[in-house]
This record gives sequence, structure tokens and C-alpha cells, in this order.
Amino acid sequence: MGLWSLMEQFFQQLTNGLAVGGIYALIALGYTMVYGVLKLINFAHGDLFTIGAYLGLTLLTSLALNDYVGGFLGLFILAVMVMGLVGIIGILLERTAYRPLRQSPRLSAVVSALGASIFFQNAIMLIYGAKFYVYPQDLLPVVPINIFGLSIPLMRIIILLASVVMMIALYLFVQKTKIGTAIRAAAIDQGAARLMGIDVNFVIMIVFFIGPALGGAAGLMVGVYYGQINFTMGWIYGLKAFTAAILGGIGNIPGAMVGGLLLGVIEALGAAYISIAWKDAIAFFVLILILIVRPTGLLGERVAEKI
Amino acid sequence: MKKIVGWTAALCLLLAPGLFAADTVKIGLMGPMTGSWASEGQEMKQVVDLLADQYNQQGGVLGRKIEILTEDDGGDPRTASLAANRLATRGIIAVIGTYGSSITEASQNIYDEAAIVQIANGSTAIRLSEKGLKNFFRTCPRDDEQGKVATATIQKLGMKKIAILHDNTSYAKGLAEESRANLKAANVDVVFFDALTPGERDYNAILTKLKAANPDFVFFTGYYPEAGLLLRQKKEMGWDIPFMGGDAVNNPALVETAGAAAAEGFYFLSPPLPKDLDTAEAKSFVDAFTKKYGNVPKSIYPVLAGDGFRVIVEAIKKTESVEAEKLSAYLKSSLKGYPGLTGTLAFDDKGDRVGEVYRVYKVDSQGQFVLEP
Repeated sequence: MGLWSLMEQFFQQLTNGLAVGGIYALIALGYTMVYGVLKLINFAHGDLFTIGAYLGLTLLTSLALNDYVGGFLGLFILAVMVMGLVGIIGILLERTAYRPLRQSPRLSAVVSALGASIFFQNAIMLIYGAKFYVYPQDLLPVVPINIFGLSIPLMRIIILLASVVMMIALYLFVQKTKIGTAIRAAAIDQGAARLMGIDVNFVIMIVFFIGPALGGAAGLMVGVYYGQINFTMGWIYGLKAFTAAILGGIGNIPGAMVGGLLLGVIEALGAAYISIAWKDAIAFFVLILILIVRPTGLLGERVAEKI
Repeated sequence: MKKIVGWTAALCLLLAPGLFAADTVKIGLMGPMTGSWASEGQEMKQVVDLLADQYNQQGGVLGRKIEILTEDDGGDPRTASLAANRLATRGIIAVIGTYGSSITEASQNIYDEAAIVQIANGSTAIRLSEKGLKNFFRTCPRDDEQGKVATATIQKLGMKKIAILHDNTSYAKGLAEESRANLKAANVDVVFFDALTPGERDYNAILTKLKAANPDFVFFTGYYPEAGLLLRQKKEMGWDIPFMGGDAVNNPALVETAGAAAAEGFYFLSPPLPKDLDTAEAKSFVDAFTKKYGNVPKSIYPVLAGDGFRVIVEAIKKTESVEAEKLSAYLKSSLKGYPGLTGTLAFDDKGDRVGEVYRVYKVDSQGQFVLEP
């Protein structure tokens, strides 16, 4: 095997990893936002991702948007609708499962989150049934894109671009807008924020809209790209994205992005050069190493001001 | 006197549930009603319910109606052991199921201790019947049988460099190891041997690595959800190489996931599909199933569950007994050439089905499963 083909192999695996990592990153953003403000791991987040995938399929087949406005615009409108709907479900989740427990010990809220996860998973199964659903194929025109001799499917580039764009938009929103400032204030000290005239409940509502909306968008992307969805899919993605959020430093927005992409790449390279069967073990081993060296995660050093 | 009447009444009340319970012959069905294999489990229930109705319309067995008690194993060993414990305490004579080998394995000892005959329908891992359990049977063939057919098929196709991929479940790993040993004995090169993680969506990293090993044939021994994704992503990579699956890919969901274009040319091994059987039993069963549920049975394993149910009812009829010991002895020594829904049935001393069952299928350009001559 020549050097060129070894290089090609390496870069192909790198793009494989980035595509998977882009999805992890999008889901990880939701974990990180909620943790940043409430110090709560929203275990139901993986299931909100699944709901996104199912809502996407339902809207796609019932509205037939793509027939009217074409593949790209159709998918864009679909993504906006799915994000809106999953965001609203996120707000309802916070209102019913987390807000009543906000003054309770943190463990109660975690148990409530686990309960919400089980509730969502079973609700999806009861509504849609336990079988696999398949997205229609060829939603987007097949355009093979060649970058330095590597052929990269269009959908992978869309996934990666969408993740990066949403991450940057979120970062700017949190850093530059008035609501973003309020979110950061609430993340530091809810009581003090309330004294400064910030409506903390409203801030938390915004957080629980944005986080789940991003998870829903990731669900839609997985459906469109990989085709196959079922009601348990949120578990494995949720777990990996949670890992990614910790890897990057939970509570930190760029950290979630870096953690997601890094986890995807570690998995792909681990599978390629060590062993496929040990891919997950390798990824978690790297996580442990990083946490030993940097207990707060890669970018999570400013503990005082998270998010 | 009053006291005696009172005591008798009390005794009757106590015994009453037992008396009513004796009214039916209870047979358990343990299958994956939820989880990734739910489509198999739900069809298992349809098949067994249909057959039980048919027997009950003819008066049941031993003059009693047959009652089916269903439990969900979720396709998960932990859920399965709970399901088995629940069924074992509810007075069943025999249990049909289940589909996955590791799931069956989690339940075997529970049924054995409770002296309940277990007839698995889709669990092909070799060791399940090598444990010396007296009341364990299966209507599906074993992996070593399938490994032999896989090797013969690969040789017949003239393939030289084989990649084998499994998913670390007891079934897929067993079949993969068996096939590797057979291929080596037949002097066929195995250039790649590894496992993927089931339940994921993206197998591009694995396919890229597979491609680098440069095989001319890939044998995936896992299940249909992953097989569908592998075929789809292989096509997207533009990698044109024949793939073959074991009998766990035999489900139309494979083609739905992959798309007909990506699935075309895919080989797999399987006991014959119901529609390809031409015995009178198979035909009348497929007709009755279609009449009741509006479609033909989609997968072979639910039909094999039906065969398990039919042989146990036959054993109860012939031995006029509901004791596990007598039923097992009958199935092992006296049942010969029983006309099943999937061909003739008989069992050896280990409880394994006797006779060759496997056929080779190929997916055509419409995504249909076509029996290879």
C-alpha cells in the first residue's frame, strides 16, 4: 500500500469522524446549555432528539414540501418547523418535570429527568409503534463533491456546516444580545439575577427552547442522512453527546462543539487503526485521560462563568 | 354442622382459582414485542395467536382450550429473565421463543428449573443446545449448519478473499467464528475479521477500513437493521462489491433501509420464506394468515415459532400428558417427519432440528428476495 493510499485512507476516516462528530456536537450543545444554567443533566435530551427525527418524518410525508419547493428549501422549512416544535416540547418538559423541583435537592431533578426520558421513549413507541421507520431516499440531489480526491457526500457537508453555523449563532446570541446576557447572569447566580430585574423563569424557558430545538435538528439530520430511525435511537446518541459535552467542558458552548467533533474523530480513527470492536472503549479511554489531565474538560476552565 | 359448611365453602373458594386454571392448556410465548426486533416479535404473536385459534375452533387439545400467555423480552437479556420468571410462575406447560440467541440464553435455566419445555424459534447459537438441558428445543437450524452452507456458497461463487464482520452478539459472533474456521479448512483466505457496534447509524468508518483490506466478498453475520445501513452506506461510498448476510437479515426492513438500488445483488442464507414453500401445510397457513392480517408473513422466524407451537400441541395430543419429561421424550424419539410449516420436522437428542433447512437468496432489482436455484 503506497503512501498516497494510506493518506487517502486517513483523510477518508477523518471525514467519517467529522460527520458523526457534527451530530454529536449539535446534541451536546443542548446538554451544555441546560447544564450551564440549571446545573442539571437533562437525560431526556436524547429522546427529544428522537422526537425531532419522528416529527421530521411525519411532516415530510404529510406535507410533501419537497415536491412544491424543491429539496433544499423544503428541508430548510422542515428544519425550522421541527426545531420550533421540539423547542416547544422542551419548554413543556421544563414546565412539568423540572420547574416544580427547582428548589428540591439536585438529585430529585436528575431522577425526574430519567423519568421524563423513559416517558418520552415509551410515548414514541406507543404512538408510532416499535418498528423501524425509513425516510424517503433521494431528498436531495446526489452531487458527489470532490475535495483533494476524496469524494464526500453532500449531506455530510450540510451536517457539518449546519452544526458550525448553529454553534456560532448560539455563541453570538449568548455573548452579544440582551437575552444572552440575562442567560449568562442567571447561569452565575439565579438569586442575584432576579434581584437585578431579570425574569429567571423566562431565561430558563429560552434555554429549554434552544437546547431541544438543536437536538431536534440533529434528529432530522440523522433521519435524512442515514434513513433509518427507531424509538431507541436517542439512547446511544444521547450518551455519546453527553460524553462529548463533558469532553469539551460541560456548560461551555464552544467546548460542546470541540468535544463532539473530537469524539467523532477519535472513534473513527480508533476504529480504523486499532480495532472496530474496541472503538467505544478507545473513545471512553481518551475521555478518562483528558479528564485526569483537565478535570473540567478541554475548554471548561472558567468555572465561575459557565455558558 | 354450620361450621363444616363454612369450612367447605372456604375450601371451595380457595380451590376455585386452581379449578378454573385447569380449564385451559397454557402455553407461553416469549418474544421481542418491543425493541429493535419488535417486528419479529409482533409477528410471532400474530402467528401463534392464529394457530391457537385454529386449534381451539377444533376443540382445543385434551378437551381443553389452549391459552397463550405472551411476555415481552424486549430483545434484551435482562428483560428476558424477568419475562421468563413471570411466565414460569403462571402455570405454563411450554414456552415458544425467543428470537435472539443471547436473549434465549438468559431465559434457558429459568425454564429448565421450572420444568417447562422451551422451543426457541430464531436462536441459532451452537452452545444453546450443548448445555445438556433436557427440555430445550429449537425449530431453527444451528450456526454450524449455517456456517457450512455459508462456506459452500462462497466457494460456489468462486470468491477468494473474504471479509467477515459480526456484531458481538452471541449469534453473530458464533456464526462468524464457525464460518472463519470452515473457510480456513477449505483454504479460502479470510482477510478481515472484526465486529461493529449494533444500534449505531454511521458505519462509514468500518466500511472504509473494510475496503482497505481489499476483499472480494463480505460476509456480515449480524442483523437486518445494521445490514441495511451497511448496504446503503456502501453504495454511497461507491464501493461495488458483493455482500452476503446470515439468516438474521431476512426481513423486508433491510430493503426499506438500504433502498432497492443498494440492496440489489445482496445474498443471504435463510430457511425458506413462507411464500417459497409448496407443501399443503405451508399454503393453507399462508392463506389463513393473509386472510386474518391482510399480508403474508414477512419473516421466517415467526413461522418457525408457529412450528414450535404446532409440535408441542402435537406432543400433548399424542402423549395425552402435560408433563415436560414425557413431552420432551416424545419430541426427541417419537416425532419423525412431522409436516411442519417450514418443511418436515424432527429433533435429535440435543433438541436441535434435524435435516437441511438453509437456502440461498438474492435480492433482485425490485428489492424482492429471490430463491437461488
